[in-house]
Amino acid sequence: MSTTKSTLLGAAFVTAAMALPSLQFANAETPPEQGIVSFKYLHYQDSQGIVAQPGSTTSAINTISGASSVASPGTSGGATSGSQDRIGVNAYSVNALVPVAGKWSIGTTYTSDSVSGASPTYHSSGLTTMKDLRRAVDVQLTRYFSRGSVSFGTSYSKETDYISRGFNVQGSLSTEDKNTTLTLGGSFNNDSINPVNQPGVDEKKQVAAGLIGVTRVLTPQDIVQLNFGYSKGNGYYSDPYKVNDNRPRDRSAVTALARWNHHFDDNGTDGTVHLAYRYYSDSFGIRASTFETEYVQPLYKGWTVTPLLRLYTQSEADFYVSAGSAETADPTQPTPPPTDAVYYSEDQRLSAYGAITYGVKVSKQINKDWLVDVKYEQYEQRAQWSLYGNGDKGLTPFKAYSIQVGVSRQF
Amino acid sequence: MKTMRFHKLKELLLAFSFCMSFSGNVYALEPGNKAPDFNLPGIQGSVQLSKTIGSVVYVDFWASWCGPCRHSFSWMNAMQEKYRSQNLQIIGVNLDAKNEDAKKFLAEIPAKFTVAFDSKGETAKQYGIKGMPTSFLIGRDGKVIYQHLGFKEADKESLEKQIKSALEAKK
Amino acid sequence: MKKDVIQKSFYAVLLMCMLGLSGCALGTAVQPWEKATLARPEMTFEGDKLDNAYTEHIYSSKEGASGGAGVGGGGCGCN
Repeated sequence: MSTTKSTLLGAAFVTAAMALPSLQFANAETPPEQGIVSFKYLHYQDSQGIVAQPGSTTSAINTISGASSVASPGTSGGATSGSQDRIGVNAYSVNALVPVAGKWSIGTTYTSDSVSGASPTYHSSGLTTMKDLRRAVDVQLTRYFSRGSVSFGTSYSKETDYISRGFNVQGSLSTEDKNTTLTLGGSFNNDSINPVNQPGVDEKKQVAAGLIGVTRVLTPQDIVQLNFGYSKGNGYYSDPYKVNDNRPRDRSAVTALARWNHHFDDNGTDGTVHLAYRYYSDSFGIRASTFETEYVQPLYKGWTVTPLLRLYTQSEADFYVSAGSAETADPTQPTPPPTDAVYYSEDQRLSAYGAITYGVKVSKQINKDWLVDVKYEQYEQRAQWSLYGNGDKGLTPFKAYSIQVGVSRQF
Repeated sequence: MKTMRFHKLKELLLAFSFCMSFSGNVYALEPGNKAPDFNLPGIQGSVQLSKTIGSVVYVDFWASWCGPCRHSFSWMNAMQEKYRSQNLQIIGVNLDAKNEDAKKFLAEIPAKFTVAFDSKGETAKQYGIKGMPTSFLIGRDGKVIYQHLGFKEADKESLEKQIKSALEAKK
Repeated sequence: MKKDVIQKSFYAVLLMCMLGLSGCALGTAVQPWEKATLARPEMTFEGDKLDNAYTEHIYSSKEGASGGAGVGGGGCGCN
């Protein structure tokens, strides 16, 4: 395998996730009055605790069979404390939303993200370097009616080894007093996967998803939303860049999301609190709970500050293989899956863990048309923070930080 | 078992849509009905609808926080200018709970028509408005001719046509 | 498994209908002119579109769970 290819290993499987346009149940009841163009830059860097290496002071950077020279990701701290950089992302997105003839709107987003760094091939070990560039575009057309809206969207994204095409439809209908809104949505995604380390593999993945939601105004200061989602996919779910990874070719998932926004009026701070809880359950055996809160505090002269907190916990997938004692003693040796196992994976993301995010966003409305914002977030995953079963003690803590800088202008 | 479930589901959806269609029901003012009188504080003294008998009156319910309302002001200003001589009177009934919000808005976008303040929304309730803005065209006889919800660029033409024909109608 | 999912979705719809129906039972509907606060951008569930897109996809590439707020954001190769 050439050097170029080796540096691409696994890249796409991380990048594909980044910044793909996601459709919020956002279609507002009324068409936008003005056009808006937004730009946002993201810098993201994650890292992990260093895996103890017997007889070595630095952690090993593995490469998949035959890969030649690989760059060593940056490390800091000692051999067993400190941390080791994994993936870094620099991305930018541009979004434009244009009202048309008072009844329509067209929105489009372009995203480019460049990813580089190292990713484990099993558990927290076998780090392999990677680099890739992903480009994605989506278009959304919405028709507004007096009591609702219908929108159609399509998306496309491409990177070295992964192409995704998607279509979606959503509609919303409100009561005459606009206090209750029913929303329905459906989407279909068709992905092609051609791993760079396995030239013969030409795989597909197809996912259909549906969502039903109710949004209800409770008081002049309270609005709540309840969404239920179901998705069913078929195809290639394994990770070709990991060792000992063979996952079911079907995956179905259900989600329940409850959100509540409350405003502290007049006698209060003029701030708004957002609360959200999501329950997730899928056929891989992963159950997850997410609690999110943020508090939007307007200040003087168009300044707004928004601190946020997110708590997450998940159970492990039924076929997750924990790091065994042999691997713990010598991390260069991946734990073999049980001999009778049909499906198995040593992907950290399928283990049981808990995670905490905290962050703050500061924005400034410069004048009627211009808005700028900056957001900083810090994230940490730990096996022992799992509330759904015991985490894998063989994993090191995973951390990340991200910075976003955005600007938008109305026309 | 499965079919029974889907049956139930259908029933529930039916019940839900039934509920959706009724929950927003409030009293609605029909064309031909007499426009309820009101007497509200304005910028210069009180504004009373019954004092405008003989004029064609365009009553517009608005608030400072409502986007399309903001949009409608320049059009209403133009209409008031254009048809003043034919006895058109535009009354913008402000529904801001906080009067200072309305004052701030008017400082930014001055109104060249009559403005009245109804911070409690009592008139809005009487007129049974269902969204912001809502306007009522009232004939010289004091009866509602036309009611319009919202304000878009595309609405201007048909609204002006309605005003014109109301002005041309015999008393 | 499949049966389980059907059952779960059924309860989901049931719960939602109850929410909708309770909306019609509770008499104190918020009037159109009382929606000054609700018209503020921070009172909607939309949020900052690009921020949400970045954030959601960071999470869906680092965590087992994803989705919930909308449909369509697929194409994620982040197993």
